[in-house]
Amino acid sequence: MIRGVYVLGEQGNMIYSKEYAKSDSKASMVEFLVNLAHFLKTVDLEEKTEYMNAAIARIFYAQRSTFTFMFVADKADDANQIEDKMSELVESFMRDYANLAQANQALEGFDDKVDEIAVTLVKVAILGFAGVGKTTTLHLLRGETIPLVHDPTIGVSIKKLPDEISNANIVLWDLAGQSRFSILWAKMIANAQVVIIVTDSTLENVLRSKKLVTLVKDEVPDAKVIGIANKQDLPTALTPERVGQILGLPTYELVAIDISYRDRLIQIIRRAILEGKAEAKMP
Amino acid sequence: MGRHMPESTFIVQLDDFHGFVVKQRYPSSLTLNEKVLNLIYYEHQKEKKEEINYCEIEDMRIASYRSALYPGWMVCSVLKQDEDFEILRSNLTGSGRLILALITVDQESFSLEEILEKGSVLKDLSEEQNLAEVFITPSSALLLERMQAEGIEKAAKLSIWLRTQVQNDEIDLREAMAPLMNSGIVKVELVGKTSEMVFLVKDIFGYREPPVDSILKTREAIPSIAEKYEEFLAAFFSPPPPNKGYNPTLRVDDPNSPILEDREKISRILAEKLQYRVLISLREQPLTVADISENTALPESVVRKLLFALEADKVVIRFEEEDLWGLLTNPRIESFLPEYVLPILSKKLSEKEISSDAAQRHLELLMQTWGEAK
Repeated sequence: MIRGVYVLGEQGNMIYSKEYAKSDSKASMVEFLVNLAHFLKTVDLEEKTEYMNAAIARIFYAQRSTFTFMFVADKADDANQIEDKMSELVESFMRDYANLAQANQALEGFDDKVDEIAVTLVKVAILGFAGVGKTTTLHLLRGETIPLVHDPTIGVSIKKLPDEISNANIVLWDLAGQSRFSILWAKMIANAQVVIIVTDSTLENVLRSKKLVTLVKDEVPDAKVIGIANKQDLPTALTPERVGQILGLPTYELVAIDISYRDRLIQIIRRAILEGKAEAKMP
Repeated sequence: MGRHMPESTFIVQLDDFHGFVVKQRYPSSLTLNEKVLNLIYYEHQKEKKEEINYCEIEDMRIASYRSALYPGWMVCSVLKQDEDFEILRSNLTGSGRLILALITVDQESFSLEEILEKGSVLKDLSEEQNLAEVFITPSSALLLERMQAEGIEKAAKLSIWLRTQVQNDEIDLREAMAPLMNSGIVKVELVGKTSEMVFLVKDIFGYREPPVDSILKTREAIPSIAEKYEEFLAAFFSPPPPNKGYNPTLRVDDPNSPILEDREKISRILAEKLQYRVLISLREQPLTVADISENTALPESVVRKLLFALEADKVVIRFEEEDLWGLLTNPRIESFLPEYVLPILSKKLSEKEISSDAAQRHLELLMQTWGEAK
């Protein structure tokens, strides 16, 4: 995920900057980038994009004419993908904004362009059998009031998760759990980066849900899969550890009707998105 | 032809990230909700084999078309109360086919209203298109190769062979063989009471033919470009040595053979419905974009895109000064009598691998297909 975008001018002056993720050490990061830009003036990158690692971050840089372009991204990101985005940014800037920047004028529209390039779409699919609380989990994540009457989902219900990770637009796919809709599952989870398998923590349901784990691993082998042990407020609930053992997945407890679980669940998803990519690349 | 305008029509794409996206609708006042789209899609997934499907959802009578060629796309029409789906079936299939073929070539210039008003449809596949389907369906191409070696085979045995080849236990032999059966390459019949046999009765051959009709017509009708046209053709088919040119009679195992690598490309061009329309309109003689557009009832912007694609595949060439397009090569798939099955047949019979009834039936089928009375 791209955390920051910076464009520096000839004197190492900051022409444009945008941070998507909060960082504690913003000032020192900018200072570092300015120094790096000065240093880069002494080498010839030949229009290529290069990168260096700095703690958990990876700094991508490219030069064109008198400008230096930098992305701060995660080590876990696919470097080729970020390099493509860098080329796109450099090309757009040189074509439409370089003259404006040289004349010290406002870069109208550049900000939108940067968003277009840097913001990524992340698909999170919520899968599980009927009545385990998938839609309730979706409501919880969106901070909506939870309906009291069970209204089974038809097919799939697709909702955005607003602003939780600022430049990853998270799209939640809440898949219908009724068995007649099972013919859609394989198609609907295509391209998901994260799949959440929701169970109601009863032994019977958790055992059945093992099938879902197999389906997900076959269809989207690169996705990060996590288990949810929902309805932990019920006396018959298995512990999340036990559910996790049976499913063979990292599993987290949940009471989807209890709003206090919201932040924790969002953290879990955020971590799954960041970790997902790193793990997918391990041999 | 009775022109049919459904009450309303819309095109939906299931996008892996955004879900159901209504790409175009007519009239624009038509409103739809996620549940309706979900149910239409679900009904289609349930009835896997049909291209066109009818269902009633929330008081709407909906006919929806989808095609394996464009996964995730659907063209849906809402029928009026007095309309009969069965009567409209072939028209709706034809227009669905055309709409998907067009919108996937050029989304920007596509106008749903225009297509609906014209009532245009794309007809069913022609014979050579049916043959082309074989080479673009990997399991069919694989089965054809096997049948070329076996000539005649028990369906059960072929099914097991296919499963081990593709390492998939769920593959359905009939489904994998559909293109072979539809085009009459194989016949499947019950011989005796229990054993279902697969017979190879036709073999096929894909190649690029020199565009003979087009060049003859050009000499006669557009003599000003005839010489240039012949030069283009000579450069492709018989260039001066050491270049070898295109020679489809070289054996497949010859490294210079154009067949194997090109066969799939030829098949794709023939099977791709819009490219095929342009191709057949050019078989007669070189034409301008406007002529092709008129012949094919496709917008000029689409025709131009298709021509560029065909040019890249060395099927058409452009006469820049005259602004004409002509065929450089004429992709063909032809069928022929697989004589080589005869010795296989007698060998299998003498080794008692097949019954005499089966062998006899195979000969009958070959005669029916290739005999004089055909």
